[in-house]
Amino acid sequence: MKTISHDELKKIVKSSPMLSVSASRLLQLTSDPDHDLMDVVNLVKTDANLTARVLKLVNSAAFGLINEITSIDRAISYLGERFIVSIALGDCVGKVFEKKLVGYEAAAGDLWKHDLRTAIAAREVVVQGEMEISPDLAFTAGLLHDIGKALISDYLKDSAPEAIELITSHDSVDYLDAEEKLIGFDHTQAGFELAKAWQLPEKLAEVIRYHHSPAEASEAFRPLVYAVHLGDNIAMMGGFGTGSDSMRYRLDANYTDYITLTPNTLASIMLTVDSEFDKLEQSVASTGEDKG
Amino acid sequence: MGQVILGVGDYGASNNPTDDVKTFALGSCVSVILLDPKTKTVGMAHVALPDSSINKAKAAEKPGYFADTAIPALLAEMTKYGCHKKGKGMVVKLCGGANVMDTNDTFQIGKRNALAIKKILWAHGMGAIAEDLGENFSRTVTISVGAGQVTLSSPGRPNWQL
Repeated sequence: MKTISHDELKKIVKSSPMLSVSASRLLQLTSDPDHDLMDVVNLVKTDANLTARVLKLVNSAAFGLINEITSIDRAISYLGERFIVSIALGDCVGKVFEKKLVGYEAAAGDLWKHDLRTAIAAREVVVQGEMEISPDLAFTAGLLHDIGKALISDYLKDSAPEAIELITSHDSVDYLDAEEKLIGFDHTQAGFELAKAWQLPEKLAEVIRYHHSPAEASEAFRPLVYAVHLGDNIAMMGGFGTGSDSMRYRLDANYTDYITLTPNTLASIMLTVDSEFDKLEQSVASTGEDKG
Repeated sequence: MGQVILGVGDYGASNNPTDDVKTFALGSCVSVILLDPKTKTVGMAHVALPDSSINKAKAAEKPGYFADTAIPALLAEMTKYGCHKKGKGMVVKLCGGANVMDTNDTFQIGKRNALAIKKILWAHGMGAIAEDLGENFSRTVTISVGAGQVTLSSPGRPNWQL
């Protein structure tokens, strides 16, 4: 199988959809621990299209409100920033998330579902695992963690059986290693390149790069990276992976340095992911008629 | 040909020989399959967690979600097809219950699901004659009701029978 050179990867990144100005600013803003909801409101107000989408969502059947919400301030405080980030990303780079991952034998839409489940699970890990980081930031990081798969999937082509053979024969320690052996890059390295092109905040770029090896992340961002690491594993355990690579990664059990989880808390997180996912998927999809 | 598709926490049965009973991507969930040769009925539950005591409301709404509530619910469902209420004469098969690699005890939900299910089956005097449990890959299960054949699949692997 032909490996991808670093220059080729840069070309692939260049030809990918780019973030809209408001999505980019929204990610910058919400990654800053000092922001408040009014900052989000003011930003959304500068984008008429996004404002319309938020109002449409809050008044959609999924929320079942009796009285229509017409003010964007109220809509955003009702929904919370994770819904706003989901809509903004879906609008400009929905094509990346909806892509059929041929190289992983996954259907169109599987990546988005996996990302949503990871996002909800990472948020719940922060809340129920008694962490001191922003639950909404963990959600956003969870949404973005696997963008690299959309980039390299076409280049992996029909290599899924080969990747699995590499793992079962112990020539590769996990699916990341198999990806690198097959095409010269794994999905976290590819995603990191896209993160740079998208000028994502450093902490989100590190989540993308190290979500399978959280101990390698900068110390300041490590709790966030561990939260997404667990969220990703929880999504796969719940049956929402992205095809051939599902469950074929290593759990870093040193998460216990940052996160307190009992088997019962984990079970409770899995239950919440199931119920929240249905709600969120329905509502975000209901406004997403032009999502690619 | 019809398909009875069961999602996470669902259970169901069919005695229509042209039906398939199917569940997608088990992950750490376990599929409990009951085949009744006498009535030619196939039943299945897609169990997500071992113990309903963590959320009684969820167990009441979706008994198939937990090992301890799923098996009684599935047996009761199958009596509608003339099956024995305690599962007498039924063939039991189990699959799923995968774990991620290098998992620690807390994350071994797949293993805990399988153990809880076996314990409850024993309490009913039942035991699995075939199982494909554990390891680290996700399984999709299709059972043809007419032939009683259980087929497993996983992306990137050829299909296999249980």
